[in-house]
Amino acid sequence: MSELRDGYITGTGAFLPGAPVSNDQMEEHLGRVAGRDSLFGKKALRWNGVESRHYAMAPDGSVSHSNAQMCALAVGAALERAGLAPRDLGMLAAATTQGDLLAPGHAAQVHAELGGGPMEIASFQSVCGSSLMAAKAAWLNVRAGEHDVTAACAGEFSSRWFRPSFYEGTALVDAKGRIRAEADFLRFTLSDGAGGVVIEAKPRPGALKINFIDIISLADRYDPCMWAGATVEDRTDPLAFWAKAGPRAAHEAGAIALLQDFELLKRVIRAWVGVYLEKVDQGRIVPADVDHCLVHYSAKSLRAEIVSLLEDTAGMIPQEKWFSVLREVGNVGSASIWLMLDRLMRSGQVKPGQKILCVVPESGRALVGFMMLEAV
Amino acid sequence: MSDVADTLRKLTIVFTEFEGRLEQTPLIRKLTRGRFELADYHAFLVQLRQQVKEGALWMSRAASNIDDQHLELRSLLMRHAVTEHRDFRLLEADYVASGGELSVIQSGEKNIGSEALSAWMYHQASQANPFGLLGAMWIIEGLGSIKAQEWGRRVKETLALPDEAVRFLLYHGENDVEHIEEFKSMLAMVLPDEAAAKRIVRTAEVTARLYALQIEEILQ
Repeated sequence: MSELRDGYITGTGAFLPGAPVSNDQMEEHLGRVAGRDSLFGKKALRWNGVESRHYAMAPDGSVSHSNAQMCALAVGAALERAGLAPRDLGMLAAATTQGDLLAPGHAAQVHAELGGGPMEIASFQSVCGSSLMAAKAAWLNVRAGEHDVTAACAGEFSSRWFRPSFYEGTALVDAKGRIRAEADFLRFTLSDGAGGVVIEAKPRPGALKINFIDIISLADRYDPCMWAGATVEDRTDPLAFWAKAGPRAAHEAGAIALLQDFELLKRVIRAWVGVYLEKVDQGRIVPADVDHCLVHYSAKSLRAEIVSLLEDTAGMIPQEKWFSVLREVGNVGSASIWLMLDRLMRSGQVKPGQKILCVVPESGRALVGFMMLEAV
Repeated sequence: MSDVADTLRKLTIVFTEFEGRLEQTPLIRKLTRGRFELADYHAFLVQLRQQVKEGALWMSRAASNIDDQHLELRSLLMRHAVTEHRDFRLLEADYVASGGELSVIQSGEKNIGSEALSAWMYHQASQANPFGLLGAMWIIEGLGSIKAQEWGRRVKETLALPDEAVRFLLYHGENDVEHIEEFKSMLAMVLPDEAAAKRIVRTAEVTARLYALQIEEILQ
């Protein structure tokens, strides 16, 4: 077998639908569940630090872009940045939490929108970490010599899940019209958009060499923490998921909406820290060598104890090296890491030789991914 | 790789691994999934009592094996032992307040994990300058400061118990920050020292595994 090649990100692209929606406008935009103001919305916004976001669905329910269309636009932008066109792609890897269709896979829908002729595709469905799963496939395809040019993209169209009709008349809303916290928090946390990268075997000026992509799942230890398809109570019983009751009854039981367990999240955050420190301990990540740290999690929302724990264990990357667009563009799930990388690359802050660490925690079922990039 | 930050990092990794292992035990699965029953709580208290009762005793033994060069650490261990040596009474009171018979918890026997953990602790405490036990304290006190309240709230909520029946879990643990600060100062009393650092981490690993075995054995 011939040797593995290096792979370089030669272009990044992002797409955000419509005009930014501020915190004051967002509840009006998504719609009020049972006509009531949210009980947890302000708390969620304080916690996640988001001040503005984009939605592909208008207040009247009309849709400006599908998830796949947003992804195709992001890949198109990344290709243009690399000086290439869709026909140059050998392979497209697409990621999302929830695609436009239940089947076929997201990559088929993105390819259909993008064009570019026959190519290899791969679909990755998880939560935020699906972005790096797709990136790893696209990178390894280049590394193995299967293709010279590949693309990885990730997109989310979360807002369509946040319409009041997804909750009203279900067990998620009580007789007084109060929505369960597990459902309400996410409405104020997630929003829409897409991002992507082009990966090639040859560097170009301004390219980023991919040093490694490590993805670690702890799903054997932790129960689902962010999920859709089961009620809060039944989420650990594989035989009681939505299909058992059928779509209509499952919706009424509150098994269709996106839900988050915040108690479990605290434990999962500690598990992420453990995995990160293990990477530091092994010398895989050297905090002092990192010039830009992209975490799709705000430093603000990490509890002070965790920041001081990272400092005590020589694992902290100084906050001035953290780069984030979470506040401006919102948490766009799997797309967030590409939105951040695209903005960083356009900021002119990255100098040759610098290292960029991307950290993608996924609360779905306790997964965390790391990608180390080095500017050429 | 033997200063305080490096050791604390390795210990943090051991603790998070331990937490993940605990999460998978049948007892904690029942607790986190809302299927915890009173009998589970009682069985849990019986084993915790074994651990807590022995804890102050092995700490005293460890203190008696610390030499004159480390008097400050010896004082600290002795103070810890004094603070904790009556805590098993609190567990007995929780047991009774939640409807159990005092004689049952008092005559409770160690399960296989508790036996192994206890034997291991006394064995370690019997060595000259048993600094490795700092690793054991990291695990056991980490449970107190990080897990106990979380478990206590869940027990109280699931079983609809009054605070008086969950006092040990709810109120025993000190807060995270103080716990880590004190622990750092204890590490600084014996580090940097490569052999001691290695021993501390190894003792934490073994203690974590045996502690998890104790929890695993509660519901087999």
